[in-house]
Amino acid sequence: MKKNRDIYTPQEVRDAYIFSLPLILFTLAFVLLPVVGTVATSLFREVTFLSRQFIGLKNYIILFTDVHFWQSVRFTLLFAIVSVGLELVLGIIFALVLNETIPGRGLWRVAILIPWAIPIAISARIWELIYNFEFGALNFIAIHLGLTAAPINWLGSSLGAFVAIVISDVWKTTPFMTIILLAGLATIPHDLYKQAMIDGTNYFQRFFRITLPLLRPVLVVALLFRTIDAIRIFDLVYVLTGGGPGGTTTSLSLYAYQYYLTGDFGYGSAVSVVVFLIAAALAVLYIRFGRFTEAVT
Amino acid sequence: MTEDRIISLLKFFAVAFLVVFCLSPFLWMVIVSFSKNPDFLSPRAAFVFTLQCYTDLLTSKSVHLIDYLKNSLIVSAVSALLATFFASLSAYAVTRLHFPGRVLIPVLMLAFSMFPQVSIIGYLFKLMTTFGWINTYQALIFPYVTLGLPLALWIMLSYFSQLPAELDKAALVDGATRFQVLRKIILPIAAPGALSTVLLVFIYSFNEFLFALMLTIDYKARTIPVGIALFEGLHGQIPYGHIMASAVVATVPMILLAAAFQKRIIHGLTQGAIKG
Amino acid sequence: MKKLWLGTLVAIGLFSIFQCTHKETALTFWIGGAPQEVDYWETLIHQFEETSGYNIRLVRQPTDSDQRRQGLVISLESAQPDPDVFLMDVVWIGQFAHSDWLEPLDSYIRSSGQSTEPFFQRVVDLVDRYDSSLYALPVYVDGGLLYYRRDLLDKYGYPSPPQTWNELLQYARHIQQEERRKNPNFNGFVWQGAQYEGLVCTFLEFTSSNDGGINISNRIQLNNPSNTAALQFMQDLIRKYHISPPNTYTEMKEEEVRRSFQNDNALFERNWPYAWKLHQSEGSPVKGKVGIAALPHFEGTTSASTLGGWHIGMSRYSDMKKEAWELIQFITSYDTQKKLVLNLGWNPGRQDVYTDKDVLAHLPHLQELHQVFERSVARPNLPYYTQVSEVIQRYVNNCLAGKIAPREALQQMQEEVDRITGLYEKE
Repeated sequence: MKKNRDIYTPQEVRDAYIFSLPLILFTLAFVLLPVVGTVATSLFREVTFLSRQFIGLKNYIILFTDVHFWQSVRFTLLFAIVSVGLELVLGIIFALVLNETIPGRGLWRVAILIPWAIPIAISARIWELIYNFEFGALNFIAIHLGLTAAPINWLGSSLGAFVAIVISDVWKTTPFMTIILLAGLATIPHDLYKQAMIDGTNYFQRFFRITLPLLRPVLVVALLFRTIDAIRIFDLVYVLTGGGPGGTTTSLSLYAYQYYLTGDFGYGSAVSVVVFLIAAALAVLYIRFGRFTEAVT
Repeated sequence: MTEDRIISLLKFFAVAFLVVFCLSPFLWMVIVSFSKNPDFLSPRAAFVFTLQCYTDLLTSKSVHLIDYLKNSLIVSAVSALLATFFASLSAYAVTRLHFPGRVLIPVLMLAFSMFPQVSIIGYLFKLMTTFGWINTYQALIFPYVTLGLPLALWIMLSYFSQLPAELDKAALVDGATRFQVLRKIILPIAAPGALSTVLLVFIYSFNEFLFALMLTIDYKARTIPVGIALFEGLHGQIPYGHIMASAVVATVPMILLAAAFQKRIIHGLTQGAIKG
Repeated sequence: MKKLWLGTLVAIGLFSIFQCTHKETALTFWIGGAPQEVDYWETLIHQFEETSGYNIRLVRQPTDSDQRRQGLVISLESAQPDPDVFLMDVVWIGQFAHSDWLEPLDSYIRSSGQSTEPFFQRVVDLVDRYDSSLYALPVYVDGGLLYYRRDLLDKYGYPSPPQTWNELLQYARHIQQEERRKNPNFNGFVWQGAQYEGLVCTFLEFTSSNDGGINISNRIQLNNPSNTAALQFMQDLIRKYHISPPNTYTEMKEEEVRRSFQNDNALFERNWPYAWKLHQSEGSPVKGKVGIAALPHFEGTTSASTLGGWHIGMSRYSDMKKEAWELIQFITSYDTQKKLVLNLGWNPGRQDVYTDKDVLAHLPHLQELHQVFERSVARPNLPYYTQVSEVIQRYVNNCLAGKIAPREALQQMQEEVDRITGLYEKE
């Protein structure tokens, strides 16, 4: 659907750009410029206690053989898959259950919004206390319910820490997913279900043949944003585990940040660029396979 | 009939579970903030109710909780208002005017919203250092406005696009400028959308962590999330009680916001998602 | 509506201006540490303000050491005029000095007619000097110590604290077995094994007490038989002999160790001198029952104690250098150092305070400490030390967790450190 390009009035074009100027300027200055700057920095040896040198792709070559970098990549990707997967499944289930009028609507909607509305740093501190080995609530409950004999070392083992991070993240984002999916479900006309029920289909058939396909655009968008959010996770790992134990829960963003702190901006920038590329690759994948452009137009 | 009953029961339990699931960490936070020792669940200690944590926080002059709260509120509010304003301008242009870049701008903004913060912060830090803006409000406001623009743009776009162009035409014919049309006609009608936008960008800025961590240094500009995460200890070796008390104080604005505006917030979020 | 927007913009402008031109008239001093320590600092600084007439802004930093370092690094990386004066952990000085963030102190010392004589020369030479300039002065010297339950050793017939690790092992196994009858949470030996900086200190002590170590003839040499044996012993304490609890490598840092010992749950404790005062405080279950000694060593070697502590430095970007130097002088003065040791139990960086009558009357063990400090071993003072430390922490912790054998751990540690050295040593 091509617009008639030739019919641009200079007046309109001028007005349009004036209106859009703040947006364009801010984005150029505080998003585009820094990203370009980061890419440029990654081509230098830029360390606070050494002289600045152009080294081309050397940082990336070192990155390629950096065991801890790959460990971060594995953790970040695994975390993204598990966490987003869980959110999605739980979100759909909750949305389906809640998809009808329920008394006390205002109350539960507020309750559901709160995990999302609170800064991650704060909820991470609360979770840290809950996961505490000696006096945390989770161990207390688990032992008293007989689920485990000895207290579980959540934050002290790499598996425990991974699970802890996933739980905390799912806790924060599932409510948000539920709301989005609920809104999506609301756009599906009831008549379709009525017709299907008359035709004698059962619940699961209705779900897979009607609900899911019609929910698809919303699902794809939600998935896209959530996955990219998961890839760039920082707050949760910084506060809850500090990237430990033993660097096993160091997300890519945290890994880059650690280098900034040791004064090595060159290497940190290289890692940052990699995060950027991964996010970009994911976005492209989703857009290709999610028939995203359909949803836009 | 019984099938309906079962379903209603299921729904009730599901809702109850969801509510408990969402709120229990906060309940825990509140309980611990009123306890003398945070380790009252371990066999040797017991729960002792006290307001000590709160009084300590509010009387100690070396804990800057109120400063952090003030900074957060100011930075978030200004960022939210500016972002909404700029986004409204752009949204108006995109929905009402014919110009090259009409489709490009929203799509690009969407793409930019997916840039990882870590890929921006390194160079941004150096930039802010050059400007001498580290540890100031503007160091946070400018990036937050920029980061909030995509979300704001998409919400305002969805609201504006629902308003027919005829609305404008009448006023334009009468000799009003585009800006006046935006200000006097479009915005008032789309006010709910603007409110949603302001709320969402406010919440986003309030919760932001990485930028605040690297671009601020002390209580003069530091915000709540960083302040709580890097808590300066008070009495007691692991100041969990104090951290929880600070957390309670810090989360009160957000909870109030969420409670007062839950409809607006949800509407804004879903508009953004549904429309793409 | 337009007025509202205009108003907002003006407000931002005002805020921005306000933030920009807020001229600093106070000397900013960043202080951290255990909460009760900072309280005392406030009284000290107040005294200085009265005598000097300066306005000091004391800013409290997070208790966590890493977080303190982060705050400093970010403010120094961005060339901030604040803080003017700050305390640094010994291991940060390398990075700070080499990154040109510290003001050299030689000229100030000369012009005020002083010298570095009164301070522990060994300490000053090990960590405060770089490229023949002096960048910091020791305020507080620390070294790892062995705390022991004198009452329990007496009860079970051991006349004196263990000299060697084998003796410690023997005493601990015996006493732990007995004590566990009534207190199942009792442990023989608690020490810092969590994956953090403190683990490097512990590691350094065990290995140095076996004639190994980290920094040998100016190069990092980790992969040697002495270290292997020492690391094996560390691992065995937890996994083979079970005299150290499993959460040693998951949670045990200074405070966890201290609380465990203080709550009557441990026979031996490896910790810094700060714990002494707390163990002897009112309401402490172990008050009056605690003894301190130098850490044990392996057969035929000598005890080792890792050098820790806090040094004071001035930011090169400070806009009040003259005043900053006076503050530094005040804090490193005989009087203040004496007050610090009497009130906070902070072992002075000045040697002369150790022979003060009042001090010795109050803290007689300071004499022993003096000797311990004179023989302390230091962690490598490299600008990229944090990365090296991270490698060591990780492998040692994994070894303690039973995930990797000591030999492999040391080998791989060495490889990684060599890689890091290769990256950062070219000039």
